[in-house]
Amino acid sequence: MVFVLGIDVGSGYSKAVVCEGGMVKSHAVMPSGGNYKDTARAVSEKALQKMNLSQGDIGYTVATGYGAGTVDFADETVTDISCHGAGIQHIFPAVRTLIDIGSQFSRVIRVNDEGKVKSFIMNEKCAGGSGKFLQIIARILKIGIEEISALSLTATKPVEFTTGCAVFAESEAVSRISEGALPADILAGIHNAMASKIVTLVTRIGLEERCAITGGGAKDMGLARTIGAELSTEVLVADEPQITAALGAALLASERISR
Amino acid sequence: MSPRSTLRGIIRIERQAKVKIQAEARRRSAMGDIRYYAGVDIGSTMTKVVIVSDRIETALIGPTGPEHRKLANKVMEDALSQANLKFEELSYVVATGYGRINVPFADRQITEITCHAKGLHSILPTVKTIIDIGGQDSKGIRIKDGKVINFVMNDKCAAGTGRFLEVVADSLGVALEKLGEVSQHASRATPISSTCTVFAEHEVVNQLANGEPVANLVAGVHESIATRVYSLVRKLQIEKDIAVTGGGAKNIGLVKALEAKFGSPVLVPPEPLITGALGAALLGKEKCEKAILDGYSPTRSKEGLREAKLFL
Repeated sequence: MVFVLGIDVGSGYSKAVVCEGGMVKSHAVMPSGGNYKDTARAVSEKALQKMNLSQGDIGYTVATGYGAGTVDFADETVTDISCHGAGIQHIFPAVRTLIDIGSQFSRVIRVNDEGKVKSFIMNEKCAGGSGKFLQIIARILKIGIEEISALSLTATKPVEFTTGCAVFAESEAVSRISEGALPADILAGIHNAMASKIVTLVTRIGLEERCAITGGGAKDMGLARTIGAELSTEVLVADEPQITAALGAALLASERISR
Repeated sequence: MSPRSTLRGIIRIERQAKVKIQAEARRRSAMGDIRYYAGVDIGSTMTKVVIVSDRIETALIGPTGPEHRKLANKVMEDALSQANLKFEELSYVVATGYGRINVPFADRQITEITCHAKGLHSILPTVKTIIDIGGQDSKGIRIKDGKVINFVMNDKCAAGTGRFLEVVADSLGVALEKLGEVSQHASRATPISSTCTVFAEHEVVNQLANGEPVANLVAGVHESIATRVYSLVRKLQIEKDIAVTGGGAKNIGLVKALEAKFGSPVLVPPEPLITGALGAALLGKEKCEKAILDGYSPTRSKEGLREAKLFL
């Protein structure tokens, strides 16, 4: 009955997962904000409280993500690429190509049948194709991010965006809105622009079936479908795609203890 | 009166001076042989109007919104009123800039690069390379005898454009027009490793939270833009004198960063935002004067300065 904790401190959101016996017991997600250290504690607390546990009940903690170094109560830090691999292997063992759509970057990770990372690619220079696009658009349309998915699926005439830049897309969206474009069509257009950037990355590293999408961006079914359509494949999305790396971290923590 | 001082005089117009200029314009118009030409530059962020005769009569700048047509009308009306002229007294109107097709009362549309080159050349005739840092793009323009011989542009990526400055100014809580001033107090330029506006903003916010002084961060941002702009413009064969135009030119910190990067003094026209509109007006004037010499009247738009319907 050993509990383990995996924490993924991303640039946008922080995630915590509590596991026991290789099974997910609870999880929590919150915006990272400016203070990663405090957020790491807070999100861990939240996940632990759901199981009526405290930090003392945790046998091993693995931290990952952009802000992993700030987690002072972690026993170990592991790269989030590796944690992603471990996480997706647990959820969808058939997956060999993983598209992670985070707040600031999108990445594509190739894994083998054991969840070990074979190669990965990310666009470190440009935020186009990242969750940032979605955040910007949600703000302009005055809707919650979680409303994007359903709304985008009702689009009839997707707007064509001429830019791949997340920052310029904002002005373009504002112009289109003032010209009378419907929110659903704007969202569909944004999805197309993002999918384009993401698919370019996938093509560079190569697609091996099956393909899954993870990260906060995967919660947007409209986006997931658009990517799937462009790749001509059926993409897999977990129920909680955002916690994939935190889950992987927790599973790696389990491994450490069972040795 | 040199163009530079005329411009300064026009822009910083005091009420007394305004009255004086209006009286002057009435007298000159009454003489009947003065011709007036207007240039309208609809940029992505600002709309500019310049009216010239044998000198610059007036110049006006207003913010661009999504309704280009209405706004072009408004700024033109205000400019005409400032110069004490009626629309019918204009001999020719040239529109330029991003929104130039949305100016129904313009007689001609000319690309902004051509207009910028013309406008700048009239103010700073020794310039051979122009760096234009606008709201949504940055350009390098090589000119010879006032004509464009080569150019490069970035309009795909927000980094290296005014947008970058806007985003960062916002996250630092500094007004855009104060950035130059603030950077003067920097003890160093904080190195910013990210090129992308999104990532750089994140870096800046993190640094700020770690106690890095705002002035240093602003200086760092200027250097970042200067680096990006330099790598764009050096694709041309840079030749002195170098000048900078566009909104970015109004930021003294950015200009200094450019000078350091380009390893050369960078000239700044007295009112960098209006070079496009000025060039447009001057090109209109040239066209008309040539037409008269050749013995014909140039084709004019049938549209007057009516309230335009919303563009759909």
